[in-house]
Amino acid sequence: MHKLTIIVENQPHEVEVTPNRARPGEYTLFVDGHPLTVFVPDFDNPELVDWMIVEDRPYEFILSPDLRVAQIYSGRYDVQVRDKEIGGARPFVGDGRVKAPIPGLITRVYVEPGQAVEVGQPLLVLEAMKMENEIRAPGRGIVHHVAVQPGQTVTLGEMMVEIQ
Amino acid sequence: MFKKILIANRGEIATRIIRTCREMGIWSVALYTPTDRDSLHVRLADEAHMIHTPNRYGDADEVLAIAKAVGAEAIHPGYGFLAEEADFAERCAAEGIVFIGPPPAVIRTLRNKMLTMEMVKRAGYRVPVYAELPDAYADEATLQQTAAQVGYPLVVKSARGGRGRGARVVMHPDKLADAVRSARREAQLIYGDDHLYLERAIAPSHYLTVQILADVHGNIVHLGEREGSLLRHNQKLIEESPSPALTDAQREELWTAAIDIARLFNFQNTGAVEFLMDTAGHFHFTEIKARIQIEHGVSEMVSGVDIVREQIRIAAGEPLLRTQEQIRLQGWAMHCRINAEDPWNDYLPSPGRLTRFRLPQGPDVRVDTYGYAGCAIPERFDPLLANLIVKGDDRAMCLSRMRRALMEFRIVGVQTNAPLHKQLIQHPIFVAGTYDTNFMARFRFDVSANTNAETCRDLVAIVAVAYLMRRRLDRPVIPPRFQSGWHRSARRLPARWT
Repeated sequence: MHKLTIIVENQPHEVEVTPNRARPGEYTLFVDGHPLTVFVPDFDNPELVDWMIVEDRPYEFILSPDLRVAQIYSGRYDVQVRDKEIGGARPFVGDGRVKAPIPGLITRVYVEPGQAVEVGQPLLVLEAMKMENEIRAPGRGIVHHVAVQPGQTVTLGEMMVEIQ
Repeated sequence: MFKKILIANRGEIATRIIRTCREMGIWSVALYTPTDRDSLHVRLADEAHMIHTPNRYGDADEVLAIAKAVGAEAIHPGYGFLAEEADFAERCAAEGIVFIGPPPAVIRTLRNKMLTMEMVKRAGYRVPVYAELPDAYADEATLQQTAAQVGYPLVVKSARGGRGRGARVVMHPDKLADAVRSARREAQLIYGDDHLYLERAIAPSHYLTVQILADVHGNIVHLGEREGSLLRHNQKLIEESPSPALTDAQREELWTAAIDIARLFNFQNTGAVEFLMDTAGHFHFTEIKARIQIEHGVSEMVSGVDIVREQIRIAAGEPLLRTQEQIRLQGWAMHCRINAEDPWNDYLPSPGRLTRFRLPQGPDVRVDTYGYAGCAIPERFDPLLANLIVKGDDRAMCLSRMRRALMEFRIVGVQTNAPLHKQLIQHPIFVAGTYDTNFMARFRFDVSANTNAETCRDLVAIVAVAYLMRRRLDRPVIPPRFQSGWHRSARRLPARWT
């Protein structure tokens, strides 16, 4: 299950998505608590998908490559995707090392060694797939080490910040 | 009849002409520039030749040289480029090649917009008040004096181009000098001639066009009128036939006037006799377009006449296929000009590659386009991508058909003005059929999206699933090397390879 926040025309919506493993192309969602089933007919070619059936309603759409603009018959919408798995605060269970959840580019670093941080406080911004992902503190503590700087690219799992 | 015709044009009009050629069993020769390689007209033609010269489709020498080399008996110029070029038509004749269009002398007269109006005025028809600008670079005082004779508001027009590109509306004397300067620049650029004239603007008005066909045997018919009052930057966005603004008596009067005026000039081949109708219902003749027009499909839909076929037949000296009595104007047709331009971004051209291009289908829907899925839309030429034409029994049916055709038309890869058309044809004033040339000035494209709760929820679901799919977060992670089968075959490699 993936938790996302999707903002459409400045209106945030909380989303939970679960792919149906038994039936590829089918997804179960909760949008602001409202259950929906989405079916993707062209499941095998993710890049070419240009229509989906939401419940029993077919939609043809055009999505910009960075997922910032969506066009359907009723108009053009500004959208934003925030992935909580990537940027969100998670319970402090690890050893305090914040690793890159996706490969990407560090665009901003908000903290420096010695600084105290709270749970969920933004540490840095990791840009990937043309989206800015705010990486937040997994727990309360003191920043012990910052291993990255703006402009640097990171690979998957690379240690970025250590919190004690 | 001709065996081989060269089409000295590009895009959707070249495609349109090739189609009729093929139906008539005529070998079609297409031209294309390097940037137009992807255009459908190149694929459909029996033969295609590349032109490399900087003037492209408008290069008379190059076009004639190719026509002679391939043995074309006739040249169809389409619209723009070499259409309405009397010199070119004359050169064709000298080379023994038939120019599909009016005789050179007729073209020459009609391109002189002031002479044309003078002749029509003398024959007893209303024309707008106009005055030539005496000298191409007259001083401010002379300009103002000429303008005062005409009266405000007025339109600055090219003596060769008429009310098409290059025309400027001037509401106030302060703006006159600037308008003249920019109109002159544009006229020189487009028509290679900076002669201008001033014409009293008739606003609000209706732009009415009568489609004419005339053969060399003196037969002349009309295919009804078109209403083209929905303009943006002097280009018609939507045309319809018949006009919703006319009574049947007015229609008859307009058709008769158009045929009589065309006869004044011994007009031949196809043309469009254009009028403005003022608020009192008077017609003012403005010009004759001596060529096929982009929006000819509307007249074809209501009359059942293939205008390109008639053009070719007339050029070959054959009589018209039908008399006026045999032409029955039926139903209501409408034409939307689909441009590759972005209504959300000041209508900037939107070139690119069409990744999806699904045409609307079903009864009485026609699309003339050079595009297809996978083709590149070059930024070099006009943004016109497709002519969408539909027909219904009456206007209401025609409108609902256009609405559904626009819904069905799927274009991905470039942004088009189709969303603008969707809004226009649902506007109450347009639906009522009471629009005039002022309508577009007041119309604003609604950029806001429909934020109905269910639509937004569905959109959120779509974006969420698309996000997951693009990141491959929705499927189990299989390292690429396990997907290819290579890891298994690798073990079977001969020993000497390791």
